[in-house]
Amino acid sequence: MKVSRRRFLQGATAGALLGPSIFNHALVRNSLANSIGSKHLVVVFLDGGNDGISTICPVDDGGATLRQAYEAHRDTGSGGTRLLSGNLLPIGVDANTGANLGLHPSLQGLHDIHTTHGSVAFIQGCGYPEYSLSHDESRGIWETASPRGGSPPGGWVGRHLAAGYGPTDVPAVAVNWNLPGDFRNTGTSVLTMKRVEWAGFPYDWRYGGDTAAKRAAFEAIHAEAGASAQKQLGYIGQSGTSTLISSEAYPQLHDLYRNARPSWDAQYEDLDTAMADDFREIAKIMYGVQQGVPNVTARYFQCSKGGYDTHSDQGGDGPEDRLSSLHSEVADALKVFYEDLDDMGIIEEVAILVWSEFSRRIQQNDSGTDHGSQGPMILLGGKVRGGIFGNHPNINAAALDDSGNTPYSQDGADPFRSLDFRDVYGGILKQWVGMSQGDVLSLLPLDVGPASEYWTVENFDMDLFLP
Amino acid sequence: MGDANTPLSTNEVRHVMRRTGFGAPPKALGKLLKKIKQAPTRGNVADELLGYKPKLYKPGGSDFYAGHNKWIKYLQRPKSPLQSKLVLFWHDHFATQASVVGEFKVMAWQIRRLHEFAKGNFKDMVKAINTDAAMMEMLDTVRNRKWVPNENYSRELQELFTLGVHDSAGNPTYEQEDVTQIARAFTGWDYEGNKPVAFLEEHQHDYAADWPSRGPKVIFKTYGGFGPDGVDFASNGEGEAEIDTVTEALFAHKDTDGQSTVARRITRRLLRFFCHEDYANPGPSEVAVIDQIIADSGFDTTWSLEALYRAIFVHDVFFETSGVAPYGVGTKKAIKWPIDYFLSTLAHTGMKLRTGDLRIFGGSYASAYRHLSQMGQVLLEPPSVFGWNWDQAWIGSATLNARYRFARDIIAARDGGAFRPDKLIDFDLTDPGDIVDAVTEALGIPDQVTTNERAIYIDYLTDNGATSTLDLNDEYVVNEKVHGLFGLVMQSPAYMLF
Repeated sequence: MKVSRRRFLQGATAGALLGPSIFNHALVRNSLANSIGSKHLVVVFLDGGNDGISTICPVDDGGATLRQAYEAHRDTGSGGTRLLSGNLLPIGVDANTGANLGLHPSLQGLHDIHTTHGSVAFIQGCGYPEYSLSHDESRGIWETASPRGGSPPGGWVGRHLAAGYGPTDVPAVAVNWNLPGDFRNTGTSVLTMKRVEWAGFPYDWRYGGDTAAKRAAFEAIHAEAGASAQKQLGYIGQSGTSTLISSEAYPQLHDLYRNARPSWDAQYEDLDTAMADDFREIAKIMYGVQQGVPNVTARYFQCSKGGYDTHSDQGGDGPEDRLSSLHSEVADALKVFYEDLDDMGIIEEVAILVWSEFSRRIQQNDSGTDHGSQGPMILLGGKVRGGIFGNHPNINAAALDDSGNTPYSQDGADPFRSLDFRDVYGGILKQWVGMSQGDVLSLLPLDVGPASEYWTVENFDMDLFLP
Repeated sequence: MGDANTPLSTNEVRHVMRRTGFGAPPKALGKLLKKIKQAPTRGNVADELLGYKPKLYKPGGSDFYAGHNKWIKYLQRPKSPLQSKLVLFWHDHFATQASVVGEFKVMAWQIRRLHEFAKGNFKDMVKAINTDAAMMEMLDTVRNRKWVPNENYSRELQELFTLGVHDSAGNPTYEQEDVTQIARAFTGWDYEGNKPVAFLEEHQHDYAADWPSRGPKVIFKTYGGFGPDGVDFASNGEGEAEIDTVTEALFAHKDTDGQSTVARRITRRLLRFFCHEDYANPGPSEVAVIDQIIADSGFDTTWSLEALYRAIFVHDVFFETSGVAPYGVGTKKAIKWPIDYFLSTLAHTGMKLRTGDLRIFGGSYASAYRHLSQMGQVLLEPPSVFGWNWDQAWIGSATLNARYRFARDIIAARDGGAFRPDKLIDFDLTDPGDIVDAVTEALGIPDQVTTNERAIYIDYLTDNGATSTLDLNDEYVVNEKVHGLFGLVMQSPAYMLF
């Protein structure tokens, strides 16, 4: 059969639209069947090492010397990174020292959620034994939840996804260019898409009469490669298949959301930041899931914000300072996102976890801070039990280790005992996602070693969520 | 066991071209074989590829965008794809972000330096980077002052540029004390001028006598094989001499097996770059290969990168995956970087980018910058000092779709005659199988396509057997099926491998 002019013209007007037969593709199983149920988990990564003490900061000494110690390490004036106690936004009391704690004033948006909804958990002193000061290594440790190596392959979320979903299910979307390490796995597909509206498949629209043939060939080539035992071929083949399927489902979410929720759309737009844009994409997808759009079944999301490696020009609490700008971008976007989901009626089904690969050195350098050890994690959502968890690290000069960082401790007798970040991951997987203790432990293996120095006893029962 | 005299088949020469350059376009393949004059062997192909005279990139472009585009055009020059590929490796290794550096001209001088040293002496390259203005901005050397030393460069010099955090046996190669002390050596450095020149501001330098509380200027007391006394990096004098003394110590550093830590790590990274990701976390058999290549090249004494590259290019490990598809679990391949996908596709199709924005007319008219950023690789703007994540990390639905979009833009470039399949395959062909073979050869991967994939392409051309021959003089057949087939092959997983 020769391709006729008539066929070409028909194709040209038909464009690249495909019929409804591709919807509810057999390869995309509905992830609602999995244990997370109708809930969502959003993981937000602050890339570069967020300065914990400039996030949650002592307002006063309480019964000890927390504020004094803080002021001894952090300067005022040119190059200073100190936050003035009068400017901090109060969040409560550190149980161990009795010190009042406050948020960096640029975290106003987060503080608003805290005061309005009481649904922000500030989880202090999260770390792991024998901490690494390398960005790459420490990030990898947090992503794989494996400080001492030897964990099962993939990231901590990825291992969970691989256990519960098939190879071309689409249970997760990273609003990112590249697949983040915590979502990496060998069992199922995680979409990465910076913007849903860009996710459409790029057909040669001027010869649209051939589009169905191109689609069929593309699908067959990728199924063939996807079945290959050769690692890279298999991976690209399967990724290509899920990209094709999602390319036919996700782009419509853009208009669906904008038409249904214009005032919320405008609020993200007004912020005009990368973080706001990323959260809006997640909101679009969650809205699509809520509306039952076929083949849109994601329950796990990721986005990130870079720039936290503040070795220099970190600044203090001036609103235009370097760290202030980062904090306000994240907190303001979180606030709009939170309220958007609240208005959708799904905020009780959403938990948002914020983490960074390490905190920063207690003693500042001439205008910034070098790499440090443990820092806070933040968990928020409609069912999150707000409050302060864990202990503020001991920042007294005498307590610091040879590198000038706060040491990790699991010693039950230590009033400044650290919180292992794996307890937070495990708490989420157990209490939020609904996995059994045993299943969680198979994803997050305990350390082997002395109980005072390593994570040898799990605590997944911190009351992170309301019943 | 093969060696430099082992003869190469045409497919093996394609394999070498894919790994050392940007794809295997038939014209470039023909030129390479012609230049060698004899039957191709591992050695004479390697010598021909490495025989280029470094052409120095001239820093140009008033701002990031203009400079980025000028560099892309420069990398696209077909004469020495190996030089471009090597510079991309080193750009990733000494990853520097133009946005952090600020002044684009300063960044451009670093790129010139990478072109200059790409196949030179590695120790000299590290010494040049130590005082490279863009690097001093990137990792805060210009803010590293005696009052409060800044550890940023000191840490990455060890972790990323030379030693690595762990050696092949999994043991640490340095400790925090080494980071703290090496930071002292770099206090007080700055640069000036349009063609930036580094100098030491002595009043900002940390002299041992002024800071007794910081201890003696000694490093590697625990790791590196220097014994408990370590290395006194003020032994050749304080001030300017210190950073060279530190560099010499790094290059004399031995791992727990008593081997050169730097030589093993750089060889490992190059094997990962040119071959496959098993070298990300090498086991005993990979370490044995690394050691043999170091011995073959003498890299741990001469630090000659050219000798190291040649030893890799003639080694069995470089050819262990050069077989014909289908591939099994043991076939080691790697995934093309976005810039490789981009430049090799332009090379295979013989296309030029147009206007100052480097656009392809006809498709989405997106600029080169936009295509590459959506594929996940903006040159001169790596995501961090760690450079890019390679291999499977390149692949996500967003970045894959960007590759598909680029391939679509190529085949949609009809107006102005930019995409000319008539110049790439013989339009007298009528047999669908012959046309598929011609297209996969034009795209440099005839050996990477399986019989099943070939059958799928034939089904596509014939609409599942509805026709037995194609008339390539019919422009509709060409516009739909020939353009379409080029697009499908460029979007296929096999095309993304090397």
